[in-house]
Amino acid sequence: MLWRPHHLIRARTNFDFLGKRKIALVLSTVINVASLVGVFVFGLNFGIDFEGGIAIQVKAKQGNVQLDELRSTLGHLGVGEVSLQEFGDASTALIRVQRQEGNNQCVANAERVMKRRAGDGWAVKPGPAGTGDVAFTAPNALDAVNWRDAVSRVGLTVQERQLPRGTVNTAKIDMTPEQRAEWCQQVAIKLVEDTIGSNYELRGTESVGPKIGEELMRNGVLAVVATLAAIAIYVWFRFEWQFGVGALIALLHDVLCTVGLFVLLQLDFSLTALAALLTIAGYSINDTVVIFDRVRENMRRYKKMGLVELLNFSINETLARTLMTSGTVFVAVLALVLFGGPVLYSFSIAMLWGVIVGTYSSIWVASACLVYLKLRPEQLRIDEEKAEKAKA
Amino acid sequence: MLNLQRWQTIAVIAFTALAVLFALPNVLPAVVLDHLPGWYQQSRINLGLDLRGGAHFLLEADLRSVLNERLTNLSDSVRGELRKQQVPFKDITVEQGRAVNVVLRDETQRAKAIEAIRNVDPSLGVSGSGDTIRLAYSDQDLFRRKKEVIDQSIEILRRRVDETGTIEPTIVRQGDDRILLQVPGIKDTTDLKRKINQTAKLTFHLVNEDVAAAGPNAPVPPTTFMVPTREGMQELRRSNPKAWEEIQAANPRLGPEQICRRYQPQCLPVLKRVVVGGEDLDDAKATFEQQQGGRPIISFTFNAAGGRAFCAATRANIGKRLAIQLDNEIISAPVVQGAICGGSGIITGTFTTQQTQEQALLLRSGALPATLTIIEERTVGADLGADAIRDGTVAALVGTALVILLMLVVYGPVFGGFASLAMMVNMLLVFAGMSVLGASLTLPGIAGLVLTVGMSVDSNVLIYERVREESAAGRSPFSAVATGYERALTAVIDSNLTALIAGVLLFGFGSGPIRGFATSLTLGLLTHLFTATIFTRMLLAAWVRWRRPTALPI
Repeated sequence: MLWRPHHLIRARTNFDFLGKRKIALVLSTVINVASLVGVFVFGLNFGIDFEGGIAIQVKAKQGNVQLDELRSTLGHLGVGEVSLQEFGDASTALIRVQRQEGNNQCVANAERVMKRRAGDGWAVKPGPAGTGDVAFTAPNALDAVNWRDAVSRVGLTVQERQLPRGTVNTAKIDMTPEQRAEWCQQVAIKLVEDTIGSNYELRGTESVGPKIGEELMRNGVLAVVATLAAIAIYVWFRFEWQFGVGALIALLHDVLCTVGLFVLLQLDFSLTALAALLTIAGYSINDTVVIFDRVRENMRRYKKMGLVELLNFSINETLARTLMTSGTVFVAVLALVLFGGPVLYSFSIAMLWGVIVGTYSSIWVASACLVYLKLRPEQLRIDEEKAEKAKA
Repeated sequence: MLNLQRWQTIAVIAFTALAVLFALPNVLPAVVLDHLPGWYQQSRINLGLDLRGGAHFLLEADLRSVLNERLTNLSDSVRGELRKQQVPFKDITVEQGRAVNVVLRDETQRAKAIEAIRNVDPSLGVSGSGDTIRLAYSDQDLFRRKKEVIDQSIEILRRRVDETGTIEPTIVRQGDDRILLQVPGIKDTTDLKRKINQTAKLTFHLVNEDVAAAGPNAPVPPTTFMVPTREGMQELRRSNPKAWEEIQAANPRLGPEQICRRYQPQCLPVLKRVVVGGEDLDDAKATFEQQQGGRPIISFTFNAAGGRAFCAATRANIGKRLAIQLDNEIISAPVVQGAICGGSGIITGTFTTQQTQEQALLLRSGALPATLTIIEERTVGADLGADAIRDGTVAALVGTALVILLMLVVYGPVFGGFASLAMMVNMLLVFAGMSVLGASLTLPGIAGLVLTVGMSVDSNVLIYERVREESAAGRSPFSAVATGYERALTAVIDSNLTALIAGVLLFGFGSGPIRGFATSLTLGLLTHLFTATIFTRMLLAAWVRWRRPTALPI
């Protein structure tokens, strides 16, 4: 034999895990309440996936990104809130621009882009309030084909019927306010491009319009709810209702704790973050199920054992595998955190934290719930009697 | 029972061999791959846009405006028809997005009015009472129409995007009114965006039969110009791909005459005067002739102005050809059989059903498209994609190494080694599965793979810990391993099914890269149920039989 296996835990342990359940209850409640309060008070740092908006990854053509300079340039651009962060290394940055409203400021921006790209003779003015109409004025008369070309310079795509007939020098493009808001995203991208394009290379652009953001958000919440419910129902069918409820509470606990981490570190809460939440939900339950499985087995075997004692016994029996299964995923995710690059960073950090929280909750939340839910009242009484005897 | 039955062993080996076979095209050099059958070549994992670079657009079609426009046209036609049939009416109004309401002067004329309306469109739903007639399209009709608009938009997009010479754009319908457009490898999207909503220019011209009869080198009078035919251009593309590329790349774009002069594809001389423009074409659809064995034909409808112009032109030019020009190509030049009045007509010829459908689509592409709004856009530069691939690969390799190390340290070279081997076979299975499905590998997908690495040894952990317990309880090595596998199975299945539930739901709700994550994770969890249980059991059974250990090295 080349080498001997190293047991994570040498001998059978006998920790009184559930004896600390009151402390755990307080700790978990505090963390969860803090997470909830954090979400409402400080808010999640929603990525553009859910809030809509623009994210542009830029790389300095020479040297490092001048964050302060960029911040002041872009901050006064009239595209609303702009946030900047270094992304990966010092020569690249991620620019986030808030979701664009289809307001008059956006039309003024469009005019700036138009003047820059098509010539000073151009004017772009908003139509009557309440509509999304935009009026373009050209320095000379244009036919429909050239109009189409011209407005495309500000990212506006139009169809035949929106264009003027004949050769004229003004075109009133009718749009709904919603369509204008979506177009304004394009205007903002072009404006940023024009403003910093000489010093920075745009490596990637993401733009999510107001409409899709809301949808992604709704789908995301639905996905989390559906996943939690499906897992809880599965556990309920495979075990007993108390197990199902315990699993559900543990899942909620894990998800909330992870959301709390997002609030605390102000990590980008994007679609991948949501994927992390769902994966944590699916994975953290693994340990729980392993413990539950053992509890079920031991309940059949030791009918006269106190419930708390039996749970403690089961947790101790399965402790090595609980630690080891979490350990393997932990090291894999650690590699993602360290080497996975900036795009996966939020996801990986969330997963890493989720693995830790999930392990904790399997023992102190899911299993403790079985005690609080009085899984076997008669066995719980045995515990109480023992405790009284010990006192006396 | 630890030992597998013979068929199980054979199945395991066959399954693994199959996985190798299907994962192989991913790493085979192109030279070898070219000699293999096509279906086999396609068994590859595509890189997602976030890894290879490219543009992703989600476009929304403004179907409401299309419907409103259609209702407005309907109200015009109904008004005309009622006047023609001398049915007096007070008012005809369009109820935006829903219906057309007709208010009659005389209730007793109702039946006559409805009959007149049936002439306009027999499929209309008629309701209302007394002097009010409410006209609405049926749900079926609306559904068909919506689908048509989207299909037509997709066709336009395909024409537009293909023109730029980019590689394999993906254009698919999403939901009711959306189109997903993915173009790998492009960096500058300005041009692409400009093209997205550019509708094709459709015009009808008379063919100058005198010039056409005089042969290809006849002088062309100033009233006439040469336009390449669609078949001609397709022929050119086949026979002279270089010329085709030149035409596509030309900046400014070449006019039809220049193309005819320089590259000499099949061209037709047509009169410059436009008989009818595409904006006057209401609809075109593929259908079948009523008589004569029901040949596939194309029927089309003009609005009032178009109908008049078309009527006059066809009446004066019976026996001549009428060329239908789409952008710079003539898509068809049917012979005028007789005066086509009343706003609608048919194009006959020796068409297949598929051809009529295509032609109808082309005809429609000049009319009635919906505005497409970009509601989501993601562009990834190729170097950014390369960074992502590098990061992902390093993370995957380091993650795998760490997991193997941990397994070897904790469970020793035999058990740990077998689990690691099983994990690697599992990764192979995932790759094979993704290749067969033609799934895309995205950056989150790589994260999913890394997670799979960590999770797929977990089942072995559960089994091995059980074996340790059974061994400590005094069982013989053989019996400990057998019982361990048997008793750990419920925990293995229960714990993995929950993760599978999450994976499947993630796939259902997620989009784009997230689906990539869900795909690799779900596949990995499914296949590992095989590798972690049956595959390692086979290895261990063989090992126990071979070494006959007195104590298990675990």
